[in-house]
Amino acid sequence: MTTTEEQLEQAQQFERLKVLVDKPYRYIDRKWDAVFWVSAAFIVGAACDITKLLFAGDWDFWTDWKDRIWWPILTPFALVIIGSALQYIQWLAWRMPTGMTYTAICLWPLATLGRWVQWGNFVHYPMNFVWPTTMVPAGIFADWVLFKTKSFILTSVVGSAVFAFGWWVSNYVMIAPYLQPAQWMDRILTVSDIQGIEFIRSQTPEYLRIVEHGTLRSFLGETQYVSLVFGATVTIAGYWIGQFIGRMLAIWPIGRFMKKW
Amino acid sequence: MIKRLAALLLLGMATTVAYASPASAHGERSQEAFLRMRTIGWTDVVFSGGQRHAQGDIVIAQGEKFTIKGVAKLMNTWPDTLAKGLPRIGYINIATQGPCVAMLERKINGVSTPSRIEITKGNYYSFEETLMGRRVGRWHVHPTFAVKGAGTLLGPGQWIRVTPHAFSSPVKLYNGKTINLENYHLVSVWTIQVIGFLLGLIWIFWWTWWGKTAKGNPRRTVTNPAVTLAIPLNDDGIAVGLNTKKDHRVVNIIALATALFLLIGWIWQASAFPVKIPQQVVEYEPPKTDLDTAPTLATVDARSAKYDYQAKALRLQVETKNVSSSPIQLSQFVTSTLTFDNPSSGSTAYGPYQDTLKLSPSGTIQPGQTATLTIDLPGSRFNDEHLLPTGESQLVIAGLLVFKDASGNKSSAEMEEPLQPHYIS
Repeated sequence: MTTTEEQLEQAQQFERLKVLVDKPYRYIDRKWDAVFWVSAAFIVGAACDITKLLFAGDWDFWTDWKDRIWWPILTPFALVIIGSALQYIQWLAWRMPTGMTYTAICLWPLATLGRWVQWGNFVHYPMNFVWPTTMVPAGIFADWVLFKTKSFILTSVVGSAVFAFGWWVSNYVMIAPYLQPAQWMDRILTVSDIQGIEFIRSQTPEYLRIVEHGTLRSFLGETQYVSLVFGATVTIAGYWIGQFIGRMLAIWPIGRFMKKW
Repeated sequence: MIKRLAALLLLGMATTVAYASPASAHGERSQEAFLRMRTIGWTDVVFSGGQRHAQGDIVIAQGEKFTIKGVAKLMNTWPDTLAKGLPRIGYINIATQGPCVAMLERKINGVSTPSRIEITKGNYYSFEETLMGRRVGRWHVHPTFAVKGAGTLLGPGQWIRVTPHAFSSPVKLYNGKTINLENYHLVSVWTIQVIGFLLGLIWIFWWTWWGKTAKGNPRRTVTNPAVTLAIPLNDDGIAVGLNTKKDHRVVNIIALATALFLLIGWIWQASAFPVKIPQQVVEYEPPKTDLDTAPTLATVDARSAKYDYQAKALRLQVETKNVSSSPIQLSQFVTSTLTFDNPSSGSTAYGPYQDTLKLSPSGTIQPGQTATLTIDLPGSRFNDEHLLPTGESQLVIAGLLVFKDASGNKSSAEMEEPLQPHYIS
């Protein structure tokens, strides 16, 4: 087939698709779209919450665990996984750069409600000690990168880095008041340390806390930024784990039963 | 048939929920007896403060303080199965149902101790914890000694009743400002989270509801695969009208607004909280106490530990030599959470974790003299506390024998003896 014929066929295909984009369906109206988005929210939020709790649970949970080494490395890695899977699914199926943000807005109310009901009302930990981190601003940036680059490879590198930095900035703003020093028990501690000691956690002796202890290294005191860069790198790996989940565990099994035009 | 089976199954599950009683205390009894006896010896544990209720509870108001004082000995009989036989890091705390009381001060061997300590087998750790009533209710509170690589050992507990009263948790910052730890900056945390959430909602609503296709029709979701599966993955669908240049403009605006929001937040935290430090790790070795250096009054060699099932009595026989220059008398036998007092030495049993022992011969042991002491202990107390290791992998009774001399000086000696659970003839 000559080039002109190929171009003609492609143009005809585009015209058919343009008609399909706006085709009104008698029985599948926008209510179905709303039902889909709302009902999927519980599964997506739960999946992201479970993944986050399994990999980075305590760091997301307590203010005295939100340190400058482990928190920025593990938490964005844990959060990006399900968001990445949803990015792939939603871009493939609808060309919508919404996967990461949708995951974030599904996660936030579930995580917050869980903390408030279980840890606030049931056990009476103060909410300023057990607030969950937010990934919404980070998700917006990652989705923006996908829409601009239209490439999952570029999104995995640039988008993951932007996700990790955006996540850290949005959550550091919240932890900042709790990093102020205070004199307590004849020591200088942060407000978050005092929260961890004063609000009893009977089965979590302090030595179980995995935070920065200090090692021989030459970062000139810029530990935080080195952790951020490493966290961004680790987030790339998390992004591709999410891509694997989206491609191999979600889309590929469905694709075996769906008709492709 | 299947429906009946399903209904029966549901009913069965429902009854387990309906009849489940709340678990609120004494979980330490589920730990193995021989481990509890061989690890920490709790002596002189006293709860003070508040009012005493008729039932023995301590009644305090929210915000009112009370104190737990005592001595925990890290016994030389520490088993090899825990922390590889070498306990190094410990944490003295309390066990209760969450933050129903708040820790205000903790002193170990006279030194304020916010977190973990370096520990050595055979040493004494004198603790004083000042706590505050926080949550209304009736709570069981134990002092605890957690050891890294092993777990948490509980001392004798006390019921604490917290009554309603206005309270706060004041903490003084480096800049002199006093804050309330209960709600410090809670509003700013929620504000930042809610604003972020709203930005995300705007993004999603644009793509799912407000946004339009190239022809100005509402954007669809469920029916789009008919189009999207026919175009390449790196095609954003502008050519077929799925997305538009307006979408690009809108996402740029939302992303910019988000970046601006984070920038404002960053500037705010940098100016509002100019001094910040990372979370602190405090670890040190407490100084030795007088108990560590006090002269030994007696050496002991346990000869037998027999349990009579019918009489419910535990009989210990211990050969004791007075190595001091003053007559001594057995004052107490302490094992895990239980303390047994010898009334003839002047010790009086009080509290739910104390009882009396019968000693024979009951008198003093003269300097240089060796006596074989027969100590009869009420087995029912061991039963109640699950401290009889029958059915466990090590049939051992261990504890501290506390001796007192004529001047009132005390010293303790550890004993450990295989348990022989058969009849006393």
